[in-house]
This record gives sequence, C-alpha cells and structure tokens, in this order.
Amino acid sequence: MNIRVAGPRSWSGPRNGAPWVWGFAAAALVWLVILVISGQGGGQTVSLALSLAPYLVIVGLGQMLVVTAGPGNIDVSVSSIISLAGFVSVAAASATGSAAVGILAGIGVGVLVAAVSTVAILGLSVPPIIATLAAGLVASSITLSTANGFTAVPDAGLRAALNLRPAGVPVLALAIAVLTVLVAALLRRTVYGRSLVAVGQNRRAAERAGVPVARVTATTYLLSGALAGLTGALLAAYIAPSADLGTRYLLDSVAVVVIGGTLISGGRAVPVGVWGAALFFILLDGLVNLVGWSTAAQNLLKGGLVLFVLFLAGGGDRSGGLASLFRRRPRPAAATTTTTITGDDTDG
Amino acid sequence: MAQLLAPALPGRARMRRSAPAAVSAVALIVMIGVCSSLQPGVLTVEGLTLVLSATVPLVIAAQAQMTLMAVGDIDLGIGNFVGLVTVVSATLLVSSPLTGVLVLAGLVAAYAVLGFLIHLRQVPALIATLGASFVWLGLGLFLLPTPGGTTPEWLASFGAWQPAGFPAPLLPIVVVALLVYLLSARSALGVRMRGLGSNPVVLRRAGLRPVTSRVVAYAAAGVLGVLSGLVLASQTGGGDVSSASSYTLMTVAAVILGGGSFAGGTAVPWGAAVGGVTLGLVSVVLSLLDVRSDMQSAVQGVIVLAVLAGRVVVGKVLR
Amino acid sequence: MHVDNLPAGGTAPPDTDTGPAGRPPVVTARGVTKTYGRTRALTGVDLEVRAGEVLGLVGHNGAGKSTLMRVLAGLEPCDAGTVLVHGAKASAGDFRTVRMAYQETSLCPDLTVAENMWVSSRHCLPRLRWRRAASDAVGRRLDEMFPGHGVSPRDRVEDLSLARRQMVEIARACLVDRLDLLILDEPTESLGPDAARSLYAYVRRLTEAGTAVLLISHRIREVLSVADRVAVLRDGAVTAERPASGLSEPDVLGLMGAHVAAAPTFGAPAAAGTAARETVAELLGATGPGLREVTLRVGRGEVVGLAGLAGQGQQEVLERLWRPVRRDTTVGVSRAYVPGDRQRSGVLPLWSVGDNLIVTALRGIARRGLRRPAEERAVVADWVKRLSIRGGAEAGITELSGGNQQKVIVARAFASPAGLVLLDDPFRGVDVHTKTDLYGLIRQEAAKGRSVVWYSSENAEMAHCDRVYVFRAGRVVAELTGEEISEERIIGVSFAEKGEDD
Repeated sequence: MNIRVAGPRSWSGPRNGAPWVWGFAAAALVWLVILVISGQGGGQTVSLALSLAPYLVIVGLGQMLVVTAGPGNIDVSVSSIISLAGFVSVAAASATGSAAVGILAGIGVGVLVAAVSTVAILGLSVPPIIATLAAGLVASSITLSTANGFTAVPDAGLRAALNLRPAGVPVLALAIAVLTVLVAALLRRTVYGRSLVAVGQNRRAAERAGVPVARVTATTYLLSGALAGLTGALLAAYIAPSADLGTRYLLDSVAVVVIGGTLISGGRAVPVGVWGAALFFILLDGLVNLVGWSTAAQNLLKGGLVLFVLFLAGGGDRSGGLASLFRRRPRPAAATTTTTITGDDTDG
Repeated sequence: MAQLLAPALPGRARMRRSAPAAVSAVALIVMIGVCSSLQPGVLTVEGLTLVLSATVPLVIAAQAQMTLMAVGDIDLGIGNFVGLVTVVSATLLVSSPLTGVLVLAGLVAAYAVLGFLIHLRQVPALIATLGASFVWLGLGLFLLPTPGGTTPEWLASFGAWQPAGFPAPLLPIVVVALLVYLLSARSALGVRMRGLGSNPVVLRRAGLRPVTSRVVAYAAAGVLGVLSGLVLASQTGGGDVSSASSYTLMTVAAVILGGGSFAGGTAVPWGAAVGGVTLGLVSVVLSLLDVRSDMQSAVQGVIVLAVLAGRVVVGKVLR
Repeated sequence: MHVDNLPAGGTAPPDTDTGPAGRPPVVTARGVTKTYGRTRALTGVDLEVRAGEVLGLVGHNGAGKSTLMRVLAGLEPCDAGTVLVHGAKASAGDFRTVRMAYQETSLCPDLTVAENMWVSSRHCLPRLRWRRAASDAVGRRLDEMFPGHGVSPRDRVEDLSLARRQMVEIARACLVDRLDLLILDEPTESLGPDAARSLYAYVRRLTEAGTAVLLISHRIREVLSVADRVAVLRDGAVTAERPASGLSEPDVLGLMGAHVAAAPTFGAPAAAGTAARETVAELLGATGPGLREVTLRVGRGEVVGLAGLAGQGQQEVLERLWRPVRRDTTVGVSRAYVPGDRQRSGVLPLWSVGDNLIVTALRGIARRGLRRPAEERAVVADWVKRLSIRGGAEAGITELSGGNQQKVIVARAFASPAGLVLLDDPFRGVDVHTKTDLYGLIRQEAAKGRSVVWYSSENAEMAHCDRVYVFRAGRVVAELTGEEISEERIIGVSFAEKGEDD
C-alpha cells in the first residue's frame, strides 16, 4: 500500500474532511457565550450538558444509521418508541425489581415497534416514512392507554446511577461515549457496517456487489428501534415516564444527524458528529434559558441553523436523490438517458 | 375517427390507477355506514356537517402535500406551518388586519423561497422542510407562547356558517379540490409540475426550466397551507401552533391513500380529498364506536397500513 | 403559425425539378469531433442532409450515431468543427426546426399524450384551450401517420404499449409549425411491420414537401428501401456515403466492416470439448419480459458470450442468472456481477479503491461478521498489483480514470470466491490497454475453473469466448463455437433479417 496517489489531493475531498468539527465548534462557541454572559462556572455548564446530551446522542445514533442507508430512509417512530419504552421499562423494572430487566424491556419494545415498520417496508413496499409513521401511531396509542393510571415509579438505583457525576463527569456520558465508539466500530469493522455504508452510497451498485440489501435495511431499522428504546428506558428513569417523553426527539434526532456531518443522502455516517451536534443543541437550550429567551427563539435558532447548514453544504446530484429511491416502477425514458455517456441535461 | 373508437383509457390501467382511491373510498363509505347505523342522525345535514367539519383543514393541508408530492418532494413542515397560520390569524389578523394579511403573504413567499433553495442547492426536501418546521414552530411560539387568542369575526362566522340543504364543510372540500385539480391536472403549469416529478430530462430537452415548476408547486402549497390554517382557526376559535402537528404525517398518509406516490409525476386532488376525509373520519367513527381516545391513533396507523397492503394486493391482482 | 393548419409536411417549397442532390443542405456538419472524457465519440464527421431527401445513417454499436444525432439536433455542442443550419453557423434558436424522435422516447410517463405534446410543442399551441388543440393536432397527426393506431390523446404514456409510445414519440417530433429536419433514431425498433410501413409512407410525404429526414437504423434493408442516400459511420467518422439505389444489404454490411457468411448456420452444435464440461448454470426455454424460449448452458471453466445488437435479451439472461428465482433457470454455484454502467450500478463513490474492491469478498474473508483487515489488505494489494491499478488501494475511486475504475469493478467480482462471474458489457469506453489486461484476466480465471457469462456490445470481444450465443429480439438465433466466432459472423447473424416479422 505504498503507492499513494500523487499530488496534494489525497483521499479526502472537500466534503470528506472532518465534518464533525462544526458541531463541536458551534457547541464551544455557545459555551463561550454562556461563560461570558453568566460569568461563572464554565465547568459546571459542561458537566450539565454532558449529563443531558447522551439521551439525544443515543437516539441520534440510531437515526444516523437509518439516514446512512440512503435517500428516503428516515425513522419517524423514534419519538413514540421513546415514550412507550419509558413506560414499559419502568413497569418492568418495578415489577421485577431489576433495573437491568427494565432497560432490556425498553430495548425490546423498540425492536418490536421497529419490526412492524420493517415488515411494512420490506414486505408491503411501504415507503419508510409511512411505515415508521404507522408503527409509531400504534406505539403511541399503546403509550396513551398505558399512561392511564400508571403508578409505578422509576428504579431509584438507576436514577441515582444516571445522576452520578464523579469529578463532574457523568457516568452516563462515559457509557454512551463507549457506545458511540462501538457504533463507529460497527460501521468500520463489521460486515454489516460496510454493507450499510455501501447500500447508502449506491443501492444498485451494492446489490450488484452481492450485498443483501433487504437484510441490511431490516437490521438498520431494528437497531434504530433498539437505540430509541434504550433512550426511552434511560430517560424515563432520569425524569419520569410520560406520554410526551419522546416528542421533541423526532426532529432533534434528525437535526443532530444533519449538523453532525452525516451525509443526508446516505453512505457516510459520522458517529462523533452526533455528539458535537447534541452538545450544541443542549448548550443552546441552556443559553436560551439563561438569557431568558423563549422556546420560540430556541426553535427559530435550531431551524435556522439546520437550514443554514443544509443549504450551505448542498446536496449534489438530484438524479440520485430522494425521488429516485421512491421510484419503484421502471422508467424507461429516464433510465436510458442516464446510461448514455452524458444525458443532455447539462443545459437548463 | 380512430380516437373516437378507442376507449378513453385502457381499462386495466385505469383500474390499477384508481384502485387506491377506490379502496379508501370504500373504507370511507363503510365508515359512514357504520356511523349512521350507530347514530341515525349522522346522515342528516346537521349530522354530516358535524362529522365532516373536523376533516376540512386536514383535507386542505393534504392538497398542499399533494402539490409537493406531484413534483417528487415531501413536506415535513406542513403541520407546524398550519399551526403558525392559526396563530397569525388569532393574533395579528385581529390586532392589525393589514399586517396579518402581509404576514400571511410573506409566509407563502417563504414557501416559494424554500422551494427555490431546495432546487438551487439540490438538497432533499425531506430534511429541508423538517428544518423549516422548527422555524414555523418558533415563529408561532414567538407570536403566541400559549394557545389562545381569538379569531377575527369574519373567520369565526365562516366557521359557524350553516347553510340549509347541504353540509357546509362539503363546500370548502370540493372547492379547494376543484381549484387544485384545475391547477395541477388541467393547467399548463400543472403539466410542468407533474413533468418535473415524472421526467425532468424531458422538461430540459423541451426548454422548460424545472426550477419554475418547483417554485410554483411550493407557492401553491404555501397558499393551501394558509387556507388550511385559516379554516382550522375558524373552527377552534383561537391560535395554537401545535394544534396541527399531527397533520405533517397525516397529510402524507392521506395523499398515499388517495393514490398519490412518492415518485412524483401524478396529481390526485380528488384522491387526496377522499383520503383526507377517510383519515379524518376515523376518529369520529371510533368515538361513536366508543373506542377509547387512546386507541385512535393506533387504529389510524393500522388503517393506513391495511389500505397500503390492500393496494399491494390489488396491484398484484391487476398486473 | 397554428399547428392545426399544417399541411402534412413542412413548409419549404417543393422543388421537384432537381433531384435531391441539387437541393440546398439543411444541416451540414464539417469536421465535427466530440470527446467524452477519454472516449472519442466523433473523430471528424463531414455530413450533409439536404432538403427533401432521406439520408440513412448506419453503423455498428459505438460507431457514434447517437452522439452525431445529438450534435446535429443542436442538443450538444461539438468540440471542434462546425454545424451549419441552412448554410449559416447555427445558434441555439436555429435548431427549433430540427426535431428528433428518440429511440428511448422523450416523453413523461405520467403525463397524457396531449400533455406531452404541450411540453414539446407548446410554441405552436394556443395559450387557452391548449389541451383541446394539442389533442386534435396529435390525433390528426397520428391518424395521418399510423392509421388505426389506437392511441387516444387522453391516454397516459405509461399505459401505452412500447409500439404506441414510439408512435406518439414520432408524432411528437413531427408536431411543429415548421419542420426542416426530422431525425428518426431506430424508429421501427418497437413498431410492428404495418406501423413501420405507414411511417415510411409518411416519411415519403414529408420529403415530397421538402423536409429532410435523417434515418438511423440497424435494419439495413429498411434503410435501403427508404433512403435516398446512405452514410456509413465507423469509429466516429463517416467512412462512406453512397446513393441508396444500387446498394445491396451485403454491400452496406461490407462497408460497415462485416463479412457476411453465405448462409449463417443457426444452432451450430457445441464443440465436443464444451459438451464434456460439467454444467454450472442453465436456462431451459426461459420466457418472460424480453426473452423468448431461451435455452443456454454454461459449463465449468467456460467463457460464454452473449452477442448481438444491444437490448435483444442479453441483459435479461444475465438478470436471470444473477437472481435465479424462476423455475426455468438453474444455477449451481455462487455468482458475482460486473455491471457495465459504472456510475449507476458499479462505483461506490465515497470509498477508496481498496474499499470498493473488497466489498464483495469481505463477506467470505470475515469471521463471525467481523472483518479481518490484514487479510483484506493482502487481497486488495494482490489485485491492485495484478491489474496494475493506478493510484493504489488508498486512492479515492472517483479520482481514477474510467478504465481504472472498471478494473476495480472487475477485480471486485473476481476477488470473491464466486464460481460464475456475469459480465454486463463492462468494457465499453475502456481503453485498449486496459481491455487487453482484463481479457487476459478472464481467460486466466476461466482456466482456474471459473465460469464466465459475458455480454458485450463489441463483437470483437467475443473472440475471447469459448462459445457465443447471438441474440435477436429475445431469442437465441445462433450459437457459435470456437473457430466460428468472428466479428464478421456475429454482425452477419445479428443483422440478418430472419424473423424480422415478429
């Protein structure tokens, strides 16, 4: 491997540099602003952010895997899964007295809901957004009926563990950092991870290269469901189970994936970037609270930033974009034109 | 002469294409039947007014979604956008009507700009509209942090309008569907929009600029979103930015139920209307059936999946 | 001018006194060259299309026909040389009277026939009630061109059969207020014989009214019967230009570089050597979309070629072998696929050469789902060296030239343990040097006991096969073995107009 390509342009094009930096940079900027305004306790701010960000990171990692599977892939059931998993895990934990069983139950619920989506996507050829929506609706109904007269309380031991901050570093943050490393390793070091990234870059090429596209897709949605379930279990123990526990996580999970540098069109996942973007979001919340701005300003800021990053980065070739994935019918005219050496779509 | 003798449409193809809307129309009729068997009053003008009125804003929002899906895009911000319009109409439109109208026009323009940028920067509409939904939400909360306010009198009186002889909600549903039909299915602009969703290469070869199609579609969606919000505000009598948050995904489901597709290229204004009414009626039927309100969204989800599964089956049979 | 008021043809005055040779040229190409990346599609074309004549353009796959058409229609600029319209240097607007009917059609499948007419001919439709005008115009034009066509202007294009789509496409191209040059690209490929006759009768009427027609077709006999002159395109240049009268089919095939067998033998028996091989894959009377009663077998260690003109069923055979789900297809070994369209179904653009190369093989190398980087690197290094892929394993795949990218895609398939490798015309536009490397590789791997099924649009490549099936209209029309395989024979068989009437 001593033959490297000549010239300064080695294998990291302009969009392959270090896209995750921006999330951290923005987070650092917000942190500095907080520091200046409040004039105290910079370390405390970081510690607090680190204890809140992991929840968003977990669900964000799942969403990242789904988005990496290529254009059109999105999991809109995460918020419903989080709410439902919260109730189920608390109920399971209080019934068995074991926090571990509770967490496992939460994960199991996530996998179950995702299994419904997966069957719809692969078996009924339902577009992912509709399939996960429908599965999410079912989940939220179950949540609502569970919420009525729900009396169990979260496991005290787990809550204490989630609040544990030796030397200001939350234990949960460390654990989720390890999880992030594991996800990164999953993407780089396993056959599944490579297959997922291949499918996301070019579904057709991956299929021709012998990648089992359907199996990879199914695994991805199940993983996303499991991670959302885990988020729900932990969040319910940290705060309390409620029917709208996961509401904000649908939009936020997609947003942190986008800001974190993961390619929206699929094929490149940046697990570290999710951390940067999540910290940025949490710190932004903190800043808005500190300044006394409303949640209105918070949402405006978030939305504006997502759009700004999106339009700045651009999307590239539309022919490989969203519409082409949803196209199930063969389109003779369109297809043949792209196979000619150049389509005559250069003008216009 | 041959064209007179030829059938208007090849029968099988027509059946295949109208199958989805037919399936949801059947679902709709079954639901109305169930309603009337439980509550004989449903089939009167008053009963239908009551049952249908809740579906009107959803149906109009579904037309907005349909317009974007015709060019191959999806709008994940329509729910919050409709919510924002209810807020504007409960605040600015009352305090200073001119500003209110200007703001509403500005919102339509914002949609057009969004479409322009999506086309210019070649970004997925899915994510861009998701980002925009934060903005709509933020603006709505900024104007009205908690639900409340009152709608202008003229709007409220529209909501309370009860003509004799036919159920009032039918009028906006049919009129809006007709207008959208004229734009998307009959006009030259509609041809350009559907052409973009169908095969943009052909448009470019013919010297038509695809960006125009997209901007027009977004502007039309903006107008329909504003309409939907005004109707919703007239019914609720106040503004609440999150009152329509379920619309985002419901409208997509309504269009799919009505026979639309994610691939773009097809406009199904009547199908979207039927799909929207069907979805909207689910909750009415369920409350008549004494199904707990908890379970309503589950049933909605199951119905969406069942109808789509039905489409797959029907499609296989007709192939 | 209103489209409804049009006479059958264009508006140029018919000057019947002089023959076509004496008429003014409509479009003239002088020294036109066009290069795509490293492929020289046109290498200096001189061609003149005169008012009121039918010029037939023939040439084999990759001779540059489509590129020339696009340049003549003003859809693409040429790199060097000039294109003159009516004797003057052409600007974009001048091409409005030049219309082209595409082989793959240029219609929006979701729009109705009338709406498609609006898209391409809106300049000559009224602003109001255009739908009515477009329906009337296209209906009348279709009636004129294809009596009994069975197309309603309200039909959606996607619901029409291929033949009807082609009719609509040709009518679309003719629907304009002034038509100087009509380019027909393989117009009869999906038309039935009756419709083809009607079309050519209409073409005659058009030329009588002064319109020039450029007819591109591989149906030599048709071209000879319709055209006034025939131009032969070979390797991106016009190598011959003759009056059609007095030319025979063998003459034209000879000009194209084919040697015509006196009587092509259909279904030649397989050589004894191949019959003895163990069968690894088989199609028995496979019939389906694009295939009719195809029977073929692949032996272990055999290189089987699928030849013939593009789109005659070869890719459908590859598809059957890649996903053997139907009962008429049996495949006994694991498979790997080498796609021809690198950009669309080959390259994984965000990855390096090494990543791209190993993606198929890593399944076999990995243990319990975990990759083994050291082993992978060894395989990659081996293949990079063996095929001398420029840039090495670490280079980004998109930084490579097309030929080197194709090497990676081929290596991807052969690096896997697959017993049957399917090649889908992978060497189009690849330079000769690379091709030679890859031909050698295929023979080496076959010698090791791997089977290869190889579809190619370049007939010369078929010489590297043990056995070749020649396809036409979804059928195997000839099976050539060993000595029989030659470019001339294949061209002869694929152009032979047997079974033309299906």
